[in-house]
Amino acid sequence: MTCNELERLSVAGASEPELAAHRSVCSSCEALGAELERVSTFVSSLRSPAARPALLESLLSIPRKTVSCEGAAGLIAASLENDLPPADQARLGFHLSRCEGCSEAAGTLLGMRDLARPEPAPWLAGRIAANRPKRRDRRGWRFVLSPPAAIGLAYAAAVVVMLAGFNPADLARKAGVGRLEESARESVQVAGGSLADRLGAFEENALRKLAAWRGRAAGYGRAALSTAIALVMKTESRNPPSRPRSGEDKGSSQRNEIEVLTWRA
Amino acid sequence: MLNGTDEKSLVERCRKGEDEAWRELVDAFGQKIFSVAYHFTLKREDAEELAQEIFLRIFENLYRYDGSFPLVAWIVSLSRNLCIDRYRRRKREKSFHFVSDEAVLPMLTSQDDPAANALKKERTKILFSALAEIPEDLAEILVLRDLDGLAYEEIGQALALPDGTVKSRLFRARTEVAKKIRERQETRSGGTFASLAAVAGAFV
Repeated sequence: MTCNELERLSVAGASEPELAAHRSVCSSCEALGAELERVSTFVSSLRSPAARPALLESLLSIPRKTVSCEGAAGLIAASLENDLPPADQARLGFHLSRCEGCSEAAGTLLGMRDLARPEPAPWLAGRIAANRPKRRDRRGWRFVLSPPAAIGLAYAAAVVVMLAGFNPADLARKAGVGRLEESARESVQVAGGSLADRLGAFEENALRKLAAWRGRAAGYGRAALSTAIALVMKTESRNPPSRPRSGEDKGSSQRNEIEVLTWRA
Repeated sequence: MLNGTDEKSLVERCRKGEDEAWRELVDAFGQKIFSVAYHFTLKREDAEELAQEIFLRIFENLYRYDGSFPLVAWIVSLSRNLCIDRYRRRKREKSFHFVSDEAVLPMLTSQDDPAANALKKERTKILFSALAEIPEDLAEILVLRDLDGLAYEEIGQALALPDGTVKSRLFRARTEVAKKIRERQETRSGGTFASLAAVAGAFV
């Protein structure tokens, strides 16, 4: 039966004395350990094969030969603009020949130019022409009315005023005072009142009173009429027309029927 | 030897296109990467081609390095698939189990004694024949640890394995190689006790 303790101790990172202690009591592990030591000693005695200087020179030239995936994106973009120096073009070409992802990206981007343009519907051009909004004429005096021109003129005027020696703040204050004075004068005029204003006010007052009296008269009239109707109805309801009880007096019966209908109406 | 900060700044400088930084990186890792490539291919031309391919890949992927583990581990992880591909390609060849004299010569130090040279060459050929017979995941760890001198942590980071697994696989790889060597020597010696003792002594 093979002992696995040597393997367990080696994997667990046991120290040399621990390994030696086990090997001293286990003959199979001692044999295996000795064999492994011989192989390891021999392997470590081999030297690394030396690279030739030509290889190292070749490795140094790699940055001039290819480009990283990171740098390839920029070169692909530049190549779309046909703005790539020949050296970079060669580096990009070499990289694309090796890198599937970048090659796919470049192929897709470059292939966009070869895509067929879809033909528009025959009615589209006519409809666009018909719906085209008319251009506003900005030439000549119409331009002066446009908002940009108005703003520009306002600024120009302000500059001229300032250059002429006026203080804009002072002007604004004076203008404000002037407006107050004018407003006060108007108030005084209104308060004094002219003859025309007085006549107008009198006319308006008279018309308002006339309308009120007319309304009242109409109201009284309607009230009197309804009272009269009520009185008539009250009088009629005390003596309703009698119906004939036999067939002898048919003539009077027909007369009474007419009266009833008239009364009801 | 570069520390973590130096390695990150070196990579940053390489990304900015500094030729001197790239030269430093090639000086620091060129020899080691060629060595790894050689141990997987056992042919100088193939190893040089593989090393170039690995460095091309390093240059194209420098922007991915974030400094979270040593640069050598990152480089080995980047080159691992390429190395394994070459190793499998070689495995499909009929001469995979045959190791030529030319294949092992670059790994031998010349000694004054021709007999010792011949013996070491023979042992090296046996060693690489045995390596070819063990599973590739075990051979890979043995090459990286015993032939190329990577630390356990670096191997673990490169292969995305915990330290315990690295140690366990390494132990199994060494055991398997030792077993293959013993079997080969027994076969060659015809099973006689004397020859076995002589061959076993050759590895002492």
